Amino acid sequence: MINVYKPKLAVVVAVSQESIDTKLIRFRFKELKDQKKFDFLAGQFMQIGLAGYGECPISICSSPFYAAKYFELAIRDVGQLTHQLNQLQVGDEVYVRGPFGNGFDLGAIGAKNLILIGGGCGFVPLRPLIVDFMEGRLKTPKLQIFYGCQNENTLLFKQEYAKWNRQAEFGIILDLPSAKWKGEKGLVTELIKKHEINSDSAVVLVGPPIMYKFVIKELLNKKVKPENIWLSLERKMYCGHGVCQHCAIGRYYVCKDGPVFSYAQLKDIPNAI
Amino acid sequence: MLKSDVILQRLAETWLKDYFIYAPTKSGSVLRIQEIQDFRAIDWSGSMPANSWKEIIIPARERIFDITGDKLQTTAGQQPLTLCLGVNVLDLKALMLLDLVFSNDVYYQNRRANLLIVGYSSDWPHDYQKLKVFSHNFEADVLEHVPFDVFIARIKNNKLKFYSGSEKGRKLLETNGIKDFTNIKFAGAVAESGPDKRMMGLQTKLENSLKHSLWSTLDDICLACGKCSNVCPTCFCFDFVDKIDPNDARRDRVRSSCFYNDFSKLAGGFKELATIKKKIFFWYEHKFVRIPHQYNLPGCVSCGRCSKVCPVGIDIFKNIAKLSKIK
Ligand code: SF4
Ligand code: SF4
Repeated sequence: MINVYKPKLAVVVAVSQESIDTKLIRFRFKELKDQKKFDFLAGQFMQIGLAGYGECPISICSSPFYAAKYFELAIRDVGQLTHQLNQLQVGDEVYVRGPFGNGFDLGAIGAKNLILIGGGCGFVPLRPLIVDFMEGRLKTPKLQIFYGCQNENTLLFKQEYAKWNRQAEFGIILDLPSAKWKGEKGLVTELIKKHEINSDSAVVLVGPPIMYKFVIKELLNKKVKPENIWLSLERKMYCGHGVCQHCAIGRYYVCKDGPVFSYAQLKDIPNAI
Repeated sequence: MLKSDVILQRLAETWLKDYFIYAPTKSGSVLRIQEIQDFRAIDWSGSMPANSWKEIIIPARERIFDITGDKLQTTAGQQPLTLCLGVNVLDLKALMLLDLVFSNDVYYQNRRANLLIVGYSSDWPHDYQKLKVFSHNFEADVLEHVPFDVFIARIKNNKLKFYSGSEKGRKLLETNGIKDFTNIKFAGAVAESGPDKRMMGLQTKLENSLKHSLWSTLDDICLACGKCSNVCPTCFCFDFVDKIDPNDARRDRVRSSCFYNDFSKLAGGFKELATIKKKIFFWYEHKFVRIPHQYNLPGCVSCGRCSKVCPVGIDIFKNIAKLSKIK
């Protein structure tokens, strides 16, 4: 019987500072055969840990296309463990388990226009979809990206924006920008109001819980169907297998039935969003 | 002493030579499941013990792995051959659920492989007519759907009826000279007639009931002490707790409770279960929404332990009756 709680070693192969508090880290499994077998879906997450510091769930932000070579995590410094993880250098080792969760349902997104809406550090799990679209692996004809963030310092994946601008409709809005900021100011809902949105689009939404309520309201105003709105939830979790109960919402487990849910699934569950 | 009691005691006496035995025992006026040294200490009344078998089946704390230097070593817990003696039917149902929940958990399964389960019931109806019907249903409706090695039922006129539920159970009976027993073939956790309709109905009612006045009432009186979840045989949630010492690190699994303050707390500080109302609702959801949804089984086996232990007298049966009335 496989021990599902036994982590594997992964080695840091690249580190870059993505924003003021977030590092983008590329990992490779220490054992080549583990890396070769590795596969995941956009929207899935890993449990990453350090000896003595526990583990935490982090969405994978690289494309599944490169799964046999590496995987990337954007790790924000918010607690004891993530602080330690932010000190990692090339060559350091971490313990990982995963991938976990359901990932985005690409079948359901199909050939619809795709709208990705991210708030703050929640933007991370959207990147695999962006990369796959840019590199021609999605069926979707058109991509719109709306990104709401607090200020310039917290924006992620900045060096990729030029490409996103060329190939997608990309909008950034900042809540509390510096005086130098020339772009849009306000909350991400403003972007949705301003842009033309095809009501038959598939929408993927990731961000802080507070953002969901307002954004969903705006999307429903634009006649997007509840079953075409997907969101990824963040909850405390330990096991990753729907056992430890920490991530439960209503009848579901975020670690196993999620983290991606359709709004139709969640709208009647108290406290889900 | 009744003849049946002599037989039970003799069995316990022989089994005690080969196994560690846990059984219901009176400590003062309280019936508790604990390890026994003397076979005469076992309580055969069939009453509900105050604590639950999970104390043996899922320990409060267990080692998951150690890391010394860069070597990680898992510690899949081995346990000496242990016999759980006198497990009542409701607790067997709880065990069924735990077996399913932890089906891919190597720590649980290793421990479970060394546990022998001897079920027991003493409260069969006394009049013969009813007994015939009851006995028939009892086997098909109950015993075929719970895990056990041996089951002993005290029936009419204080006679004992023996059942075996596994190869191990058969041996356990035969080596003790008991030849007259019925073999029960496990037929899955859910009865052939499908999941309990009342339970499924309650699932939808509870799921949408957060606005019901019951939850505000409970918000006012519940202390969130977690005693209920501590004794409940179907509460199994846990935390992983790491020791922060990079040179000799370890991870333990520690039993938790959704009533504890940090149960849902994220590193950034956000806490989903921030009020008592949310906590107790979450607890009921576990029993009556999530477990039924996941396993088609009730997440509450109606043992009544939680109501007995609650310092402010919250009675789960009364609350469920209230929720059942929702149209
Ligand atoms: S035992 Fe009673 S007071 Fe304590 S948490 Fe349970 S319901 Fe609340
Ligand atoms: S009655 Fe209470 S203690 Fe017993 S199984 Fe149900 S919830 Fe748990």
